[in-house]
Amino acid sequence: MSGKITVIMLGCALLAATVQAKEHPGKEQILKEGYQGPKTCETCHPGKAREFLGTVHWKHASKVDHVDNIDPNEEYGMKNRIYTMCNGSDIVNNLKEVPPNALGKTKFTGCNTCHPGDHSSDVGSTGPQAEQAIDCLICHSFKYDFSKRKAVKSEDGKVVMTQDRSTEAAANIGRPTIKNCMACHEAAGGGAMIKRGFSMAQKDEVHVTKGIICVDCHQVKNHRFPTGRDPNNWANDGIYMTCVGECHSVTPHKDADYNRHIAKIACQTCHIPKTGGAFSKDFTKWEKQSNGFYEPSTLKREVNETAPVYAWYNLTVSNTPHFIGPKGSRTDGKSKIYPFKIFQGKAYFNKKDGKLLSMDFASPIATGDTLAGVASAARILGIKEYEPVPGWQTIYFGSNHQVAPKNKALSCANCHALNGVLNFKELGYSPKEVEKLTNPELYFEKLLKLQQENE
Amino acid sequence: MKKILSVVVMVALMLVSVLTFSRQAQAEELKMVGTISKIELSADKKSATAILKDSKSGEEVTILVSDELTLDKFMDKRIVEGDEIRCKFEKMDGKNSSKMFKKTAGC
Repeated sequence: MSGKITVIMLGCALLAATVQAKEHPGKEQILKEGYQGPKTCETCHPGKAREFLGTVHWKHASKVDHVDNIDPNEEYGMKNRIYTMCNGSDIVNNLKEVPPNALGKTKFTGCNTCHPGDHSSDVGSTGPQAEQAIDCLICHSFKYDFSKRKAVKSEDGKVVMTQDRSTEAAANIGRPTIKNCMACHEAAGGGAMIKRGFSMAQKDEVHVTKGIICVDCHQVKNHRFPTGRDPNNWANDGIYMTCVGECHSVTPHKDADYNRHIAKIACQTCHIPKTGGAFSKDFTKWEKQSNGFYEPSTLKREVNETAPVYAWYNLTVSNTPHFIGPKGSRTDGKSKIYPFKIFQGKAYFNKKDGKLLSMDFASPIATGDTLAGVASAARILGIKEYEPVPGWQTIYFGSNHQVAPKNKALSCANCHALNGVLNFKELGYSPKEVEKLTNPELYFEKLLKLQQENE
Repeated sequence: MKKILSVVVMVALMLVSVLTFSRQAQAEELKMVGTISKIELSADKKSATAILKDSKSGEEVTILVSDELTLDKFMDKRIVEGDEIRCKFEKMDGKNSSKMFKKTAGC
């Protein structure tokens, strides 16, 4: 690692420690007057609540301009998208109490459980009531008591999400920590590390090891979060991020050969050699658990247990009922080779129009009856003509986190040996080119020298 | 003298190997789904015990947790008593050491 990057990382670590240690201005006032929700925050940050209502974190949707077969004038995201990792959406799987199972047990569940409102003011809501329903502290407090955030039934029988609005939580605030982010982001898709299968623990992410936190890279502007270009993450706040910027230059390696690769190989390809989490699910067949509830059958691995797949990606997305993944080619002049976590899910498709059907999980969770879930979702979405038939969908998730330490990144032979991770033929290279790309002449001297240095 | 020393070292190495192998052979990995009835953090907060009620047998099982992430979740109450947990643990020397401790619920 270059000295410059080391200095920047050390700076980040020191800054993070300082920010964490430094008390947020206004603490004394909060301790004296207590916390009354967003209006307390707005004493010093006027307009921030209304601003937040316009972001993806609140709307769970945005206009999308890089994906095939969708309406550019509509908004898409968790709010309304259907795909086979989740097979539901905030609309279909609105937070609710499921019917009792055979043991008489019930529970609350819903895709919008992680929405930072109180459920009375829900995904995409607007106005003064919504502004005051924002759970600012779940992202900004270091002392948030997560046991206070839970679904309960209010006196009038509505399901609401409670929040920790204690003075203690409000008096200990600042930039969101990794824990604040991961409280929601690690549990998506059916449990811890299931959906994206990456961990932000120090042992798993080299940036975290060096004291860098989520918002150091996802540099938030007015509550709008820059994101990467995951083909299955469509909603965005209109700003994107890459590795290249204040930390990494366009020529980040000392080795000119490595730097030459940057024209065609994304940073993640070499620096994120593993992925994990669920790699297949079957929503047509739910398994009974020992607690009497049912869950979709899921094949999964731990973090760092799965090899990614590699494909050309020009940052636009192919979206058909049976495939969501990268578009691109070796020859389009825009694509680079990226790593992806590949996932295949089975669910019901509508024989009448070929589209993927959604599923309301309330019935399947309680009884395992998946077709009852499809029928309920069709009612909610106003679909009258449908004939459910099982089928598979393949999804490519971006592999953009869990960056390995330098010594675990892919090196020359990991790709250019005959048993390398890149399938050059499938990536569009001719037999003659493949022969050249897998000839040890390319890397032998360099690796031999490295080996001698390390011995 | 050198010969005696070599024999002693060899015997010691063999003993270590046998003992290590025996300990590994004794360790048994088990899994369960259960509801937490009690969480107790140690004074130094470097470990905790959690009592899980096995949802299949109803039996109470005490699990020793020592991984940082789970301990952190106990401390800020992301995992609390009453939560349902999917757990893998290793049974050895009368202790059940957690290898995986995750809430069953996702979203």
